[in-house]
Amino acid sequence: MRARAVALATLASVSIVGIGWQLGSSAIEASQSLTASSGGTATAAAASAAQAAAQSGTFTGAVVPTQYGNMQVSVTIANGAITEVTPLQLTNRGGRSAGISNQAAPILRSEVLTAQSAKVHNVSGATYTSEGYLRSLQSALDTAGF
Amino acid sequence: MSLDTRKTRTGTAPANTPRVTSPHPAYKKRMRLADSLQILCVASVAIVVAIFLADGGAAKFGTPADAFTSLGIVAGLVGTDLLLIMLVLAARLPPIDRAFGHDQAMAVHQSLGKPALYLILGHAALLITGYALAENVNVVAETWNMFTTLPDMPLAFLGLALMIGVVITSLVVVRRKFRYEAWHAVHLLAYFSVLVAIPHQLSVGGLLRDGAIARYYWLVLYAAVAGSIIVFRFLLPVIRSLRHHLVVDRVDAVAPGVASITLTGRKLDRLRATSGQFFVWRFWADGLWWQAHPFSLSSAPSERGLRITVRGLGDASKQLPHLKRGTRVSFEGPYGLFTENARTSLRVVLIAAGIGVAPIRSLLETVSFAPGNATVLLRSHSLGDTYLVDELTDLCRLRGAELRIIAGKRPQGVSTWLPADAVRAGISLSTIVPELESSDIYICGPRPWTDAVVRDARSAGVPKKQIHYERFDW
Repeated sequence: MRARAVALATLASVSIVGIGWQLGSSAIEASQSLTASSGGTATAAAASAAQAAAQSGTFTGAVVPTQYGNMQVSVTIANGAITEVTPLQLTNRGGRSAGISNQAAPILRSEVLTAQSAKVHNVSGATYTSEGYLRSLQSALDTAGF
Repeated sequence: MSLDTRKTRTGTAPANTPRVTSPHPAYKKRMRLADSLQILCVASVAIVVAIFLADGGAAKFGTPADAFTSLGIVAGLVGTDLLLIMLVLAARLPPIDRAFGHDQAMAVHQSLGKPALYLILGHAALLITGYALAENVNVVAETWNMFTTLPDMPLAFLGLALMIGVVITSLVVVRRKFRYEAWHAVHLLAYFSVLVAIPHQLSVGGLLRDGAIARYYWLVLYAAVAGSIIVFRFLLPVIRSLRHHLVVDRVDAVAPGVASITLTGRKLDRLRATSGQFFVWRFWADGLWWQAHPFSLSSAPSERGLRITVRGLGDASKQLPHLKRGTRVSFEGPYGLFTENARTSLRVVLIAAGIGVAPIRSLLETVSFAPGNATVLLRSHSLGDTYLVDELTDLCRLRGAELRIIAGKRPQGVSTWLPADAVRAGISLSTIVPELESSDIYICGPRPWTDAVVRDARSAGVPKKQIHYERFDW
């Protein structure tokens, strides 16, 4: 390569990577501020008294298709409280996705049990899994009249 | 050393010889094209890295698992980009041939083979490690998981295995053990290995998910590469062979085992072939049709005919001097930058050994120079064993070039292109050719000999851009 070509190629590459970096960091900031704003509802725990009317038993949620595969959970309700969430199907399309699901599911479960609702924030880095998990959970809770 | 210098300098050039200016206009134009193509290649690597970063990739290095996974993704992206560049370099695109010549393009193609393979192997190893760390299992279990639970991964592993095979068979040591046709058949599996890796990129690769710009970028890239291969590597040669309908017109014996083959066809001017270029020929005769050979034009191409001069070296090419009139010929080409297009200077030196005289003979016919500004050097063992000398002598007379035949055996154990006694007398290229540093030097002969001439020219201070030679060992 001639010196001129090397210089121009370097310049072009640095600017292209720079633009990519810039776009990436604004995307990261956007997703962080989203997580922060939705974080508020997560700690809003306390099951409302109206939930006493809910039935007890195990209820299966709807199958929620996501980009990485289907999500489905079942919820166990006893005495008006969520006592257990069991994943029936986890997103597993893509090895990374399977890994993410396995990491995210226990976190989501404990948050749901604390919050006693499906209104908890997404596990960061597992957005699709979280959304699918919580939507399936919500449909199970709806069935239970919870 | 026997030196045969023929009195040819008195000749005058035909009236229509174009005036040569310096620096040569073709050179600037060609280098601009070469620069742009090189910048495009480097930028394509930058683009795939930028796409990874734009997706928020920079934030995914926090944990060891994420770091391995992210590095694996980048290795896969860059490796695949290099593979596509390799495919394009081998696709015989006209701009690449015009800018670098086929042999240079193939040299870059070869040099990218190992880096691309290492990146793809790294992609697999890093991702297996990253996923294994994330899921807390060992790498063997993770590999098995990938193979069995992820969509399209068996195909991707197949692609990887094929790629390893293709690169190993192309290592110089291994490649020598195969017949060219067998090696080439294995090599064509590279297309397949790239193809079977595409599904897992689209289904498993989160970066190329539905709706992502990266997905469309890569799909367009794949389509463009596939299109250029199909058009320039396969369709164009078939269409040209059919359209121009080349047949063997006559075969003239030049020396034992050496023959000039004249081919005729339709509208050959539309091929835009020039002196010094080569085609890859296939002669449709018994025992020959399954082999294709690159041979250079040995006279300037015309509307009516093309001529090559060949020496039967291989098992099948020994039959070439016995070709029958009317034999159908299909071809790929014209290719190569051993032409007027490579010019940078006013003067010309043409140096040939053995059958390398063929493209030198055609260049002498049309390359531009003023009378007295060209020297032709023929190198042989003895004065009698040169080919096409009479034709060269006539052309030198006509165009005003000097012809020198340098005969004699090379000394043993010394790497030189000159005879033993010439070396002892301290003779070199610069003492034979006047004003060497302001000349374009075209060299055609066996590879070690060519390398020796190039070294001689370089040590005489001739810039690289003025030294032109072409390899046929791709």
